[in-house]
Amino acid sequence: MKHSFLDNYSDISSVIHGLDPKVKIIAFFFLTVVCVSTPPSSYFSFGVYFVVLLGVLLLSRLPFHHVFGRSMVVIPFVLMVAVFIPFLKKDIIGGGYNLGIGGLTVSNSGLMVLWNVVVKSYIGVICMILLSSTVPFPKLLKGFEDLGLPKIFTTIASFMYRYVFIITDEAQRMKRARDSRCFGGKWIWHSKVIGYMIGTLFIRSYERGERVYVAMLSRGFDGDLKGKEGVQRLKPGDYIFLSVLIPIVTGVRLML
Amino acid sequence: MHVPDGFVSGGVNAITYIISGGVSVFAVREANKKLGDKQVPLLGVVAAFIFAAQMLNFPVAGGTSGHFLGALLAASLLGPWISCLIMTVVLTIQCLLFADGGLTALGTNIFNMGIIGGVLCYYLLVALKSIFPKNKGGYLISVAISSWMSVVLGASACAVELAISGTSPLSIVLPAMASVHVLIGIGEATITTAVVGLVLNTRPDLVGTYSYPDARTFNRMEA
Repeated sequence: MKHSFLDNYSDISSVIHGLDPKVKIIAFFFLTVVCVSTPPSSYFSFGVYFVVLLGVLLLSRLPFHHVFGRSMVVIPFVLMVAVFIPFLKKDIIGGGYNLGIGGLTVSNSGLMVLWNVVVKSYIGVICMILLSSTVPFPKLLKGFEDLGLPKIFTTIASFMYRYVFIITDEAQRMKRARDSRCFGGKWIWHSKVIGYMIGTLFIRSYERGERVYVAMLSRGFDGDLKGKEGVQRLKPGDYIFLSVLIPIVTGVRLML
Repeated sequence: MHVPDGFVSGGVNAITYIISGGVSVFAVREANKKLGDKQVPLLGVVAAFIFAAQMLNFPVAGGTSGHFLGALLAASLLGPWISCLIMTVVLTIQCLLFADGGLTALGTNIFNMGIIGGVLCYYLLVALKSIFPKNKGGYLISVAISSWMSVVLGASACAVELAISGTSPLSIVLPAMASVHVLIGIGEATITTAVVGLVLNTRPDLVGTYSYPDARTFNRMEA
């Protein structure tokens, strides 16, 4: 079965895809953190962040529908938590808008909170999508390792990446088997069936883990994965990318 | 329940990052003590399992569905620290690859789901276990209650963090988050109990928190 739900489009070639993973991790993390720390009233800064991200998006030649489609992941949380804020928060000083329907008012401070969370979460999401769509996952992990993340996390994550496709296949096969037997569950008390499926999936996965471990032991595994190549040197293009992006973002953040 | 960027304030982010970072370092040490060099392959595969299990949506009401969290399941099977470590890996990867949960809010998400949902509710399970009758039924009831609590407490913690950050007043966000997750928690409890019950029947040696004499010792050589 074909899966591309993890790092879709990370294998196409473009200027951005050619950059070193470390550089992209630093750049996107930096942009996210700076954006979150920006006061909500500096509209111009957010505009510049969007322009920078749009520039990266155009250079990376990723299809727009891929990036925007996946960015919809923030919507449920925004809908649940933030959308009602403008109606609920009361202005301390005047300046709200009266909608004239049953005393419903929209407050300025509430609108500001809504704008704040929507713009920051959206920029954060776009940064992460650009990162994961321009670096294949194994290289991303290598980049984190070079940047000093403890090896235990990256090795667990790399094993996870190796087996997630197999186990997802297993889950999909179970789901197909269930659907072909007319499951059609609509209510919460039908969840027990899913529970048994997940239980079987757990036992199969755990036993697979044990078998993998035994196979590794018999090939001389002693708790350490060998054969990792050294830290990759940065190329001129990497320096150019960082020396364009970081000053622009820092400048805009500090000036306004 | 994955908090995106910008919803919680810098202070809340910093504090939860420090707590989550410290707890994960401790969890790595504890997991290493328990599993040794078995740690890497086993945790990798179980993390992949949590990932795949979260893709099986369960029905809530009508046509809507929720998905499984798995922190308490992992804790009741493998212990609190391994569960916390697995949740940390899963949440980090969800943040990086699916943009599900913000990067700056990652500490908060690990705190809500890994530490409250996994570690804290594990101790709740241990406490409940000593109250209920010491048999399989009593054990499964305590699993059900603590997995329900893991979802509700995680969501409430999230609401409190949002209120501290000034995003939304507590009197509104707490009831909203809690009421939705009271329902989702029922699904989580049903599934977790069914899974633990099934594992108890087939591989009781894998249920780390079940220590009553009626647990069959399963010898794979005999099977």
